[in-house]
Amino acid sequence: MANAWKIARRSNVQLPLILVIALAVVVVLLGKAQGSLFDRIRAHATDTMAPVLEKLRGPVAGFDRFVGSITEIFSVYEQNLKLKEENARLRQWRNVAIVLQGRVGRYQALLHAVPDPKLNAVLARVIGRANRPFLQTMILDAGRQNHALPGQAVMDARGMIGRVYLAGQRTSWVILLTDLNSRIPVSIAPGNVQAMMTGDNSAMPRLELVSRTVVLHAGDQVTSSGDGGLLPAGLPVGTVVSDGAGGWRVALLADAAASQDVEILSFSKAPETPPPSAQLPAEAAGLKPQAPPPPAAPAAGTQANGQMNGQINGQTNGQIGNQAQGQSNGANLQSNVLANAQAKPKPVAPAPAQPADSADAEDEDR
Amino acid sequence: MVSLERIQAPRFRFLVALVPMASGLAGVLIANIPVSILGGLVPAPLFALVPVYFWCLVRPDLMTPAVAFSIGFAEDILSGGPPGIWTLAFVLTYALLARQRDSFAGLSGFVAVLGFAAAATFACAVAYFTVAGLNLLSGLALPPLVPIVSELMMTVLFYIPTTLVVAWLHHKLVGASRSDV
Repeated sequence: MANAWKIARRSNVQLPLILVIALAVVVVLLGKAQGSLFDRIRAHATDTMAPVLEKLRGPVAGFDRFVGSITEIFSVYEQNLKLKEENARLRQWRNVAIVLQGRVGRYQALLHAVPDPKLNAVLARVIGRANRPFLQTMILDAGRQNHALPGQAVMDARGMIGRVYLAGQRTSWVILLTDLNSRIPVSIAPGNVQAMMTGDNSAMPRLELVSRTVVLHAGDQVTSSGDGGLLPAGLPVGTVVSDGAGGWRVALLADAAASQDVEILSFSKAPETPPPSAQLPAEAAGLKPQAPPPPAAPAAGTQANGQMNGQINGQTNGQIGNQAQGQSNGANLQSNVLANAQAKPKPVAPAPAQPADSADAEDEDR
Repeated sequence: MVSLERIQAPRFRFLVALVPMASGLAGVLIANIPVSILGGLVPAPLFALVPVYFWCLVRPDLMTPAVAFSIGFAEDILSGGPPGIWTLAFVLTYALLARQRDSFAGLSGFVAVLGFAAAATFACAVAYFTVAGLNLLSGLALPPLVPIVSELMMTVLFYIPTTLVVAWLHHKLVGASRSDV
C-alpha cells in the first residue's frame, strides 16, 4: 500500500503525494494569511476573460429571458392588473414625496443643515454571476480604470445589491448581500433601530439587533446606516420579515439574479481623526485653558469644585495624560459653576473664561 | 481523424500526457464561467473532478498528484472561494483514490456512479470542513450545508455526461495502455 503514496509507479521524477498534500495545506494557510495575493490573481484572470464573458452574456441573457417568460406567460393578466393598481398607488406616493422633499429642503435651509455627501456613480453592466458553495458573486464590467474600488456599494434601480470586494482594471467582483461573508450595518425605520445584516447564503439575510430590547415589525424599512464610514447612509436595502422562529430577516428590494445594469456608488468619507492631544479638550471646545487652581480651598463651594475637578481630571488623565489636566479644568468651567451654585447660598462670581479671571473669582470667594 | 497509433508516436506523447490536465482545466473553466443559467438557482457542478477521478483510476501515470494539485488550484483561483480549499480537496480525494484504486477501478454500471458519488462526497466534505475550520478560527459562523450539498448533487448528476466526454477523449487521444510517457 505504500506504493499508493507515490505519484508515479514508473517514474521517479514526480513529487510524492505526501509532499503535494503538504503543499495544499500550505496554500490554504497562505490564502488565509495573504488573501490579497489570490485576489490579485483572480482579478487578473477576470480581466483577461472579460471580452469572452461579454460575448457570452447576450445569448445567456436571452436564454434566461426565454426561461423566465415560459413561467410568466400564464400569469400575464393577473400581473397586469397588479401593476396597474401598484402604478396608481405609486403615483399618489410620488406626489406626497415631492411635497415632503420640498418641505425637508426648506427645513434644511432654515436649520443650516449639513447637506448629505454627494455620491458619484459608475454605471456598470453585469457580465457574470457565480453561485458557488462558499461565494455568491456577480462580475461587473467596470474596474479600477472606471474608478470602481473595493468597498463601494452596488445598487440596482430598487436597492442595494452588495459591495465591490475585488476590483481589477476592467472588471470587479461584487459580494452580494446574501453571501455568507456579507455584513452590513443597517438602520431600521421607524425607530432608527441599529442592526447588523448578515448574509447566510439564503435569499433573505439575517438581522442581528444591536439592542435586545427593541421590537421590530414586519414591513419596517431597512436602509444602510453608514456606520463605519464604508457605505453611505440611507441606501434602501429591504423590508423586515419574520423568520418564524423569533428572529428577523430582510426581504431585499434588489433582485441580484435579474439585474442587468447596476450603479457603483463612489463614497469616500474622510475618517474622523481626533485632534492632537495638546488641543484636548479645552481648545477643541473653543475655550482657552485655565490655570491650575491654588492649593488652599477652604470654602464648601471650592470643595465641590475640587471634587468635580478631581473626578473629571481623573477621567481626563486616563485619556490624555497629565499635561492636559489644567486644560480639562478650563473645559469644565460650566460644571464648576453649577457645583458652586448648588453648594453655596451666597452669590458666586460668574465663571471666568480667562485664566486670570478665574484667579480673581477665587480671590473673591475667599 | 488522427489515429491513435499516430498520436502514440513519440513526438506526440508529450501532448498526450497533457490531455488529462487540459481536460481538468477545461472543466474548471466551464464550471466557473460566471454565467449562470436559471438565475443561479443551482451551483455549477465540479466538472474538474471527473477527469481527476477517471484518469486517476485509468492512467495514474498521467493524472499525477501534481496535476490534481494544479487542477484544484485553478478551481480555487476561478471559483472565488477561500483560497486553497479545492486544492486540498482535490489532492486528498486523489490520495483516497490512489489508496483504493483497485476497489474503485473495479466498479461498473450504476455502482460506478456510486463510486464517483463517494469520491465527490469526500471532496465536498473536505472543502466544507476546511472552510468551517477557517471560519471557526476567525470567529465566524459555520458555512451553511445546503450550497455544498447542492454542489455535490449537481456534480453527481453531471457525472455520466461528463465522463462520456472524458472517456471519448481517452479513447481517441490517450489510449488504454500504461505508457511510459
